[in-house]
Amino acid sequence: MVGSEHIEMIPAPENKIWSAEVNGTPVEVLAPSNAVLLDVLRDKVGTLGVKRGCDLGTCGCCTVMVDGAPRLSCLCLAGQVEGASIITVEGLADGAHLAPIQACFAEYGGSQCGFCTPGFLISAQALLNENDTPTDQDIACAIDGNLCRCTGYQQIIESIQGAAAIHRGEVAGPAPASDPHPDPHPEGPDEPNMPPGHAR
Amino acid sequence: MSGGYRQQPGASGGTTRKDGKRVAGKQAFPPPGSGGSRPKMSTRDLDFIPESVGGKEPQPAGSHIHDRVRTGTSVGKEMPLVDSNAKVTGQAWYGDDVRLPNEVIGKILRSPHHYAKIKSIDTSRVEALPGVLAVATGADSPHRFGVLPVTKDEHAMAVEKVRHVGDLVACVAAIDEATALEALNLFDVEWEVLEPVFDPKKGLEDADEPIHWRGKYHLAKTNVQKRVFQEFGDRSLVEKPHAASHGKWNMAGVHHGFTEPHAVVAHWDPNGRLQLYTPQQVPHYTHRALSTVLEVPMHQINVIRTFVGGGFGGKSDPFPHEMCAAILSRKSGRPVRITFDREEVYWINRGRHPSHIEVKMTADEDARISGFDIDALIDGGGFASFGHVTSYYNGVLATAPYELGSFHYTGARVWTNKPASGAMRGHGAVNTRCAVEVGLDEMAETMKVDPIDLRLANLLPPHSRTISGFRITSNGMREALEKVREGSNWDDKFRQLPLGKGIGIGCGFFISGSGLPIHWDPNRFPHATVHMQVDMDGGVTVHTGAADIGQGSTTAVAQVVSEVLALPIEMIHVRSHESDTSPVDLGSYSSRVTFMNANAAIRAALEIREQLLNAAWEILGYHPNNLVLNDRRIYYKHDPAIGVSYLKALHKAQEDKGALIASGAYRSPPMGGVHKGAAAGLAPAYSFSAYVAEVDVDVETGLIKCTNVWAAHDCGKALNPLAVKGQIIGSCHMGLGQVLSEKMVYGRTGHLQNPNLLDYKIPSVYEMPHVEPIIIESCDPEGPFGAKEAGEGPLLPILPAVVNAVYDAIGIRLRDLPLTPDVVFKGIEKALKASEHEDPTDLPSPRLTHGALQPTLVARAQEHKIRDKARQRTEDTSPYVNGVLFGFDPTIPLEDQVEGWRTATEPDPEQLAELGLAGRAWLKKEQRHMEGEN
Ligand code: FES
Ligand code: FES
Repeated sequence: MVGSEHIEMIPAPENKIWSAEVNGTPVEVLAPSNAVLLDVLRDKVGTLGVKRGCDLGTCGCCTVMVDGAPRLSCLCLAGQVEGASIITVEGLADGAHLAPIQACFAEYGGSQCGFCTPGFLISAQALLNENDTPTDQDIACAIDGNLCRCTGYQQIIESIQGAAAIHRGEVAGPAPASDPHPDPHPEGPDEPNMPPGHAR
Repeated sequence: MSGGYRQQPGASGGTTRKDGKRVAGKQAFPPPGSGGSRPKMSTRDLDFIPESVGGKEPQPAGSHIHDRVRTGTSVGKEMPLVDSNAKVTGQAWYGDDVRLPNEVIGKILRSPHHYAKIKSIDTSRVEALPGVLAVATGADSPHRFGVLPVTKDEHAMAVEKVRHVGDLVACVAAIDEATALEALNLFDVEWEVLEPVFDPKKGLEDADEPIHWRGKYHLAKTNVQKRVFQEFGDRSLVEKPHAASHGKWNMAGVHHGFTEPHAVVAHWDPNGRLQLYTPQQVPHYTHRALSTVLEVPMHQINVIRTFVGGGFGGKSDPFPHEMCAAILSRKSGRPVRITFDREEVYWINRGRHPSHIEVKMTADEDARISGFDIDALIDGGGFASFGHVTSYYNGVLATAPYELGSFHYTGARVWTNKPASGAMRGHGAVNTRCAVEVGLDEMAETMKVDPIDLRLANLLPPHSRTISGFRITSNGMREALEKVREGSNWDDKFRQLPLGKGIGIGCGFFISGSGLPIHWDPNRFPHATVHMQVDMDGGVTVHTGAADIGQGSTTAVAQVVSEVLALPIEMIHVRSHESDTSPVDLGSYSSRVTFMNANAAIRAALEIREQLLNAAWEILGYHPNNLVLNDRRIYYKHDPAIGVSYLKALHKAQEDKGALIASGAYRSPPMGGVHKGAAAGLAPAYSFSAYVAEVDVDVETGLIKCTNVWAAHDCGKALNPLAVKGQIIGSCHMGLGQVLSEKMVYGRTGHLQNPNLLDYKIPSVYEMPHVEPIIIESCDPEGPFGAKEAGEGPLLPILPAVVNAVYDAIGIRLRDLPLTPDVVFKGIEKALKASEHEDPTDLPSPRLTHGALQPTLVARAQEHKIRDKARQRTEDTSPYVNGVLFGFDPTIPLEDQVEGWRTATEPDPEQLAELGLAGRAWLKKEQRHMEGEN
């Protein structure tokens, strides 16, 4: 944005209907024919979970899954992925049920400010889909395009290992996040569990 | 389950007729709330209840006043951040995610010149462009603002001149981004280009046109924004040093590199109130500045802090683009969204100051540190920002953790035509700390002693005063050093590793909240206030202005409330986003939130707790002293079966007054000296840390890889160990970036050459070493449950630890940060030239044979360890001030004991000639003292 030379406005490209499957739902939106996937996802489809950190392919915040493979949506024209199946961070959870990778990022501290998290989740999920016994090296390989300024990556790697264990079935998966189950004791706990040393 | 609510008080239970119909008017009310969804009270978690109150949590550092309200619910437990589910589902809303109906897009015209006068701006072509809804220039915002009340030097847009490339010139709002971008091309600006200054050393000299003009307070005609002189102690001690170190450092500027670029949405609502959404660390400053700039009373502005995608100090100034959005929205009548691209993030900067630092230090024949002599010239860029404070911090935060014979500091911050430097994690302390710790390493080398033992034998004890008068309370420095020494196997590695492999130590010391709330008198208003409200449903709403920027302040506040009230953390709802609902708060900077806001929250929670206990007293007939709170239930200490549910007690307490409301505040105790600048660096508590780093240096290419870090940090008490570890590891990451790869590169023409994340090298996952976080709990007497900060201090030690490790690996002292391969390789080449070797792989690796002083130090450290333990546990409460190690009596003012014990904030005339680089600023006079000289 710095500079004084005048660049003539490029004649507005024509709007076209762009269609794809986003998070399992077919979408059709009207977007300029030269639109970047990141813009279309954020501004037209409304999946604001896809973050823009740099617009230059250097931070990984905008990573989405395109037909199963992670891809930087800021470096991808929407037209290139016309008709593809796209998964964003919003598509990871199954209803109120967090995906293991999401639950583990929360549990192991893989997310601090959370801005990089959507990108990491997608990169990690793409890895876990292929390989549920990743080494730390495999994980580093999968997330080396994602930048995190808060966590120093260590707890992210732990989160991904935690999720891999769930994928392998070694550990139980997360419980539904916001299951509105009825409260069996509406007035709170009335029956004490005797604290040790305090038994009658 | 009897005793529910009845429609008619006193009526007997609902009767059912023979035909099965209930008699009207006798049904039970539905219960108004629930005590949570777990049916049973959980047992008291004795592992998280301190020993002093009958639990099993060990307290090596002694007991704490908050122990009695520990319930074992939340404090000390590893907990996910309370907002983490929003983050992992993509629902967390950051600045650019705020999309209001009918929004328009704002863009900013930025200066192409380093330094220029704006002769005229013609906006007619912009206004004529279809789709443009509003245009604004400096003329729309004549009022100055700035983060510090003493240095308000910013405008929403340049008023008279631009001060760096990327400085704001004008802004425009248009129906879409393409139109707004095109509009930027249509501004016709007439410039008069001025001679820029880039080199901070030049900034010390008189200029034709200083970047700012401060009238009678301006220092001659220089570009010096702030100069500092501080001298404490007995300067005669440095005269015959037994060992000395002298280092000149060159440290590049670094940027916070948060992943979320700045973004702001401004919306003047139909009632004429401004709603401003911004990812701010300190919404309150923005609030104040908006009020000034827009000439609107503060209560007509609602600043809404969105989720913050990383701050680290870089989002704590009130920003000109926030003002621009508000101006554009007022003009256009529509919500305006401005989002930065990555390049703009670097133009607004506020990163760590590029610095020239010179450190001299001396030790006497007992290896006591007789003097620190620090000179720091820092490059402030185009605006003051936090620089006034940074100028002090570069010196005064080096006055601990060691006991010093004397301390001398000269600092100067100069304006240059670069994007403004400001506060960044470890504000002002990082660079000098690195220089000081490396100096200690060098002195240890000359004295032939182990650098860890040198430190251990020179530490200030807990409950003492530094040479500059800072009050140190808890102090876990010794334990931190011992832990990393043990963890890293230091004694088997130091000076014993082969060429190319090295191990190094570094320490850190940082404030836990600034003692002075810069915008108001601490005697009139508290530092932090927290409101709390509990209504029928049992949920606890906590209102605080603490800004969660990812560090987990919301979680910390929720945790302490949950702990005091013995409620599951899901029942605590922290509202901290809006200035309309949250009490005024200084936000997240200088690592104050845990200490101050959690303390305020505890106070509010205690009030609620008391009301609940009184209600339970009425119901149960037992005095609150005999009642125990545990997991949504209050019961009789000696018989848990006699009790009442939290909800019933709450409803009882609400009978006369409705919702329970409480407000708690925190104010720091009076402390510190009275000399000029005494408040800088003053804090209610300080954090301490010690790191050992291991590196591999490729002697043929100069590439450094840090492989392992043992990171011990004294955070007082880890309220949430998971978060503390995250802060430690994250700090390591950021510090490693600064010491190994990150650098804002200014070219020969003064232009910033790497305003993007490709050329600005933030460590990726591959560059990260394995970090072993070690939490030290020194239990601060005034901290919430003993806690101190953990967000900034842990960054400090990593830099010197790495630099010292590099020396251990290749025997070369490098003092140009970052230590990129070219810097290292140049050092290696120089070392080769000076030796008879040709092949770098033949370079000698440094070795150490302990000298005669080593046993003295070990013995002294041992003695001090006993002293410290007694003081930490307040078994020994005798006064201790810096100077005791040198034989002074702590009960008599040092000035009265020592001829020449100084506390000076201005140099003596005879000192002027020998001052360092930054000290030269003292050769100039302020305009008001220059009458007749011009
Ligand atoms: S926004 Fe796509 S990589 Fe940064
Ligand atoms: S959590 Fe903040 S950038 Fe990764």
